[in-house]
Amino acid sequence: MSQRKRSRGSGLTQGDDEDFSVVPTQSPSQVQRNLESRSQEEIDRKVTELVQFLLVKDQKKIPIKRVDILKKVIREYKDVYSEIVNRAGRTLQQVFGLQMVEIDTKHHIYILTSTLPRVEGENLKQDIQTAKLGLLIVILSFIFMKGNSAKDSAVWEFLRRLRLNPGEKHKVFGDVKKLVMEEFVRQKYLEITPIPLTDPPEFNFQWGPRAAKETSKKDILSFVAKVGAYGGSPFFFFFFFFFFFFGGGGAEGRP
Amino acid sequence: MAESDGSSDSFSPRSSGSARSRLSLPSASRNGSDSQRRRRRLSGNLGRPPASERGDEEDGEEPGSSEGGGDERSRRMIRNQYRELICSVQQNREDMLSSKSNRLTEALEEANQLFSGVSCAREAALDAQFLVLASNLGKEKANELRSEITTFDSLTFAEDLLTFMGINRTETEGNDSDSESMSGGYLPSNAWYKLGEEAEKYFRRAPSFHYMLGSFKSEPPVPRQRIERQRKAPGGEGKRAMPAQLKKMEESHQEATAKEVERILRLLQTLFRNDPHTPISFFDLVVDPNSFARTVENIFHVSFIVRDGLARIKLDDDKLPVIEPVQNVEERNDDHSTRARNQVVISLSHEEWREIVETYEITEPMISPPDSIEDEMETA
Repeated sequence: MSQRKRSRGSGLTQGDDEDFSVVPTQSPSQVQRNLESRSQEEIDRKVTELVQFLLVKDQKKIPIKRVDILKKVIREYKDVYSEIVNRAGRTLQQVFGLQMVEIDTKHHIYILTSTLPRVEGENLKQDIQTAKLGLLIVILSFIFMKGNSAKDSAVWEFLRRLRLNPGEKHKVFGDVKKLVMEEFVRQKYLEITPIPLTDPPEFNFQWGPRAAKETSKKDILSFVAKVGAYGGSPFFFFFFFFFFFFGGGGAEGRP
Repeated sequence: MAESDGSSDSFSPRSSGSARSRLSLPSASRNGSDSQRRRRRLSGNLGRPPASERGDEEDGEEPGSSEGGGDERSRRMIRNQYRELICSVQQNREDMLSSKSNRLTEALEEANQLFSGVSCAREAALDAQFLVLASNLGKEKANELRSEITTFDSLTFAEDLLTFMGINRTETEGNDSDSESMSGGYLPSNAWYKLGEEAEKYFRRAPSFHYMLGSFKSEPPVPRQRIERQRKAPGGEGKRAMPAQLKKMEESHQEATAKEVERILRLLQTLFRNDPHTPISFFDLVVDPNSFARTVENIFHVSFIVRDGLARIKLDDDKLPVIEPVQNVEERNDDHSTRARNQVVISLSHEEWREIVETYEITEPMISPPDSIEDEMETA
């Protein structure tokens, strides 16, 4: 088993039972040698397949696992994996303005984000994804303003003020609870963890890794400012800017 | 004897069996001094701290002597009290967390009192359990604390969001009977879309990629089609073109050669007519000093004439080939039948052609190139 893992590109198709959870670590020179055993066309074809795979997988915004990439696209070209991924990344950047970002370094899970700056008034397509993003930004703002983590009861109380009830079917979102607790979590926009020793169980809402990569505290603060909410004191924003520019974060200390 | 009244409403400090720990805990819960309290609590067994300023919660009771005989019973009771305390804390979580309540403080006090009666591990374990619970609560309470300056008013934020989404606030619609008093108003159907549109500016989200015309099936069929198409293409196109153009093409082909041959024959006859007794030097006739290829072509065409018996090539006295047309029709036929035909293979290299051009001093071709224009000019 270990021998197979260390095998360099022999150019032979290997069986499906190959261990795709391990990518052999290779030095650039090894990759170079392996590259030479394959034709340029073959490599290019794999790069194209990978780009298409990533784009299609990203449609639902579910993060992409490296295991899947290896099993479904790379397959017998495992030995030149790093080269294929590099080239695919270049294509994504140059053709689509997207980049592949790792959100879980242990399990190697990736998402695609845009590298282009947003342009005013460029959104011509408005669909349910747009509406969901509206809901998401509201939740993320709330969590942020509450010090980077909020209890689910507080979140739902807040959402109720916006006419969203976890028990009712919403005209736009349908099952709001499912959307928030399942879909957003699966997409890694939110991280919802149970609070220990609570009965009935309560949950803690935090930003998920995708939210951290696709937006920033500064952006969300701008949003909050734009919506025009500040309470308490006129020094609110003054302090908040200092708050997070100088290592701010809630009690959790999470970025 | 310590007794707990079991009710969750009031915790009054109890006198305990021993005076090991007596802490006075200030009632203000806003100053976030839970951790401080905890520290004091843990080290509280060492001595008796000074009395609090308020002193209203202190009964100032002196401890009596510790229970000797009812040890097992009192231990059981302590355990009961702990369990009740833990239970009540869990039930009244929300209340405890409220920044307006001192309940957590009071619970800590109670536990503190209970602890003074603890001497065995079993009760201490319960105390530890309570401590975990209380400290979790304390952490949450601390999380909810905000410095006065940066209060976040979620209520106003919600209202502002609704305004942004375009809510129609009507005067006539009354408020909900809820104590939460949500604002009335009608939210338009595009409310969330409007918000989402604004939200997109703050995200670096990759746009969803969809094939415009739908996705194709997977690769394998395509190469096969391509191969087939390639094989078909040369034949196919040729065939396709044939019905329309074929006749023309073939005709023109034949025509081209035949035309050429005829043209040359005419030329030959013309030349010979002018000078009937001098056979024309073969090379003078065919060689084109400007083009080797044309020369070869001319030889090719001339060979047709000879084959058809319309001209003959023979060697003159200098052993150089000469060509003369066969005038007599009868002669032609006779020649055909009686005379054995000779076949000659002429090979001409580029070098030889050059030599001939020089030797014969050929400056211009006798047989003009078959450009249509030139042809017409010739005939004209």
